[in-house]
Formats: sequence, structure tokens, C-alpha cells
Amino acid sequence: MRLFGDSDLAHNYMKRALPLVIIAAVLGAGLLTAWYLQRSTAETPAPPPTTNASPSQNAASRSNQAEPGAEPPHALGSSNAPVTLEEFGDFECPPCGMLHPILKNLEGEFGPAKLRIIFREFPLVPAHAHALAAARAAEAAGLQGKFWEMHDMIYENQKAWHEAFDVRLIFEGYATKIGLDLEQFRRDNTNEIVEQRIFLDGKRAHSLGVKGTPTVFLNGREVPFESLAPDKLKALINSELAARP
Amino acid sequence: MAETNQPTLARRATALYGAVALVSLIGLADSIYLTVEHVSGRSVRCTIVSGCSEVLSSPYATVRGIPLAAIGAIAYFIVFSLATLAAFGYKGVGKLLPLIVAAMFLTTLWLLYLQAFVIGHFCQFCLLSALVTTTLMGLVIAALRAKVGNLATD
Repeated sequence: MRLFGDSDLAHNYMKRALPLVIIAAVLGAGLLTAWYLQRSTAETPAPPPTTNASPSQNAASRSNQAEPGAEPPHALGSSNAPVTLEEFGDFECPPCGMLHPILKNLEGEFGPAKLRIIFREFPLVPAHAHALAAARAAEAAGLQGKFWEMHDMIYENQKAWHEAFDVRLIFEGYATKIGLDLEQFRRDNTNEIVEQRIFLDGKRAHSLGVKGTPTVFLNGREVPFESLAPDKLKALINSELAARP
Repeated sequence: MAETNQPTLARRATALYGAVALVSLIGLADSIYLTVEHVSGRSVRCTIVSGCSEVLSSPYATVRGIPLAAIGAIAYFIVFSLATLAAFGYKGVGKLLPLIVAAMFLTTLWLLYLQAFVIGHFCQFCLLSALVTTTLMGLVIAALRAKVGNLATD
């Protein structure tokens, strides 16, 4: 009889403890899944090494095998600078807008002798309705030698034009502000050279496997998105500089 | 009649709490995935396919710096825990569960409004979460009705 009572007690105890065990198991499984997903996201896919070349040589060769993109590229800094940062950007993409001041700071901090910044057009159409118009406006300004002025103007006012229905007049306003010939700018918006440059940058992006914006390559190696924070990007540039005295 | 209904209703409430626990696991998995995407920055980047990147890079994706998806994961885990305890006959937890699920449901309606009218983009993972929360709401109401019916037959 007593034995029977003990068995009931054990059964009741088990019944009370079971849900707690299930909850603890789910909590553990959830944390493990999060850890696994985080780890697999943090790992950047690297091309399989085919030779005994160093990772940076591999990256450089991958970059060289890719489509060249529009020539000459829009670049700030010396072509002999030891570090080249190539950004594939979309003027309407909010994270690209956030990256813009970071790159401006780095440009000022490292200077043209150490850091070369290249901008490549990668408008995400149709996800961003005005991205192509913005790319055209920047390229049209480039034909008058003021690409970077328009680039800065468009990024710095991203919120102002992003919601607009018709951005043409807004961009024309920017063109006037930076001192462009407005009639020329209007004509150049549909210029074949402008279209070709955007197309060629897009071809380069696809050949490098760019899937989104902003995508940044540092001396030919893709920088993981989470490393685009100012301190991390600065550290990466410093390590590239240290490797190339 | 009452004597035959009572165990049936109690069993029904237990089954419904079990279903709540199972459905909340879908929401938990979805929000863990979204939290990791958000923290790693993968979905915050703009991609060719519109939707999640716009929603997750919007200012509504975080509350005081904490990703909304992480708050969702915690909420789904609490719902799972309470539903599991209720299914195993723990008293009291059944009262807290409808309150939490109702709060989640109201938040879901607000987030759907934001996606439709403010952000202008829908994220499929957020829509899955909305579907899960709506299902949870239905299940919790059904469980409450079964419990009330059970008490009425006492």
C-alpha cells in the first residue's frame, strides 16, 4: 500500500516536472538555434583557394576577373593609394545613406594618399522607385565634372526626395545649387553615356556577386555588412595599410 | 448531461492549450530568425527583392535600440511556457495567457498598419508572425470558452 503511494507521488512529481523540462528544452533549443544562425551569418563566403596564393592575392584576382565597370570610375584619392574602397550603392537605400557620412569621415581621416574611394552605381530597381533617377542625376552631373557634389547632395537629402512623387524637379534644384548648366543636365539625364555607365557598373556588381546595397570591397575583398560600422571599417583599413607599408 | 460534458470540456481546454504551445513555437522560430537577421545586419541592407529590408531598416523595427523581433521572441517564449503549464494543469497561468496574447494581437494590428500605410512594404516573415498571433488569439478564446463552459457545469 505504501509502495503504491510512493509510486503515485513519483508519478505526480513527474507530471509536475515534465512541463518545466519541456520549457527548458525549448529555451535551450532556441538559444542554440540563435547561436548557430548568428555564426553562419557572421561567416563570409570565401572563394575556394585554387592556388597557394594569399587571401588578398585571391581576392585581387577575383576582382580582376570581374567585369571592369564604367571607366573611368568615380574615384576620390590617388590611384596609387595602398587601400581602395569600392562601394556599390543605391542612392535611395537608407543604409547607403547612413554609410555616406562614415565614408566621408574616413576620406578626411586617411587622406587621398592612403585611401581611394570608388563609387559604383547599383540602383535596386524596382525595389526603389527613384533609385535609377538618382543614379542618372549623379552620372549626368559627372558629365559636367561634378559627380561627387551631386552624389553628396543626393545622399544628404535622401529623406527629402525619397517620399516625393516626382523627383526630377528636386534633382534639378540640386543641379542648380551645385552650379551645373541646367539645360545640359536635363539633356544628359537621358544621355546614352549615362545609361551605359549605370549598366556597366551593374554588370561589374553582378560579376562580383553583389546582391544588395551597400556592398563594399576593400582591396578587392568584400567587407561583411556588419563590419561597415565606423570603428570596424577603420580597423580594416588600418590593417590593410599595415600589410602594405 | 453536465457530468458527461465536464471532462470533455476540460480535455478540450487542455488540447487547445497544447495547440497554443505548438503554434507559438512557429512564432518563436520566426522571430529568432528575424532577430538574428537584424543583429547581423543582413536584412537591414537593401536587396533587389523589396520588403523585409525596408521593414527591418525602418525606425519602427527597434524599440529603444532593442530589435522588435527580439521582443517578439521573448513574448512567444512566454506564451509557449504559459500554454505548456496550463496544458499540464498548472492553476493560474490560464488567466495570464489571454492578457499576453491580447497585447500581442493588438501590437500585431499596429505593425500591420505601419507596414501597409507608413512603411509601404510588407515583410513575409512579419506577416507570418501576424498570422501566428491571430491564430493564437483564436485558440486562446476557444480555450477560455471551454474553461468557462467547464466551470459552468461544475
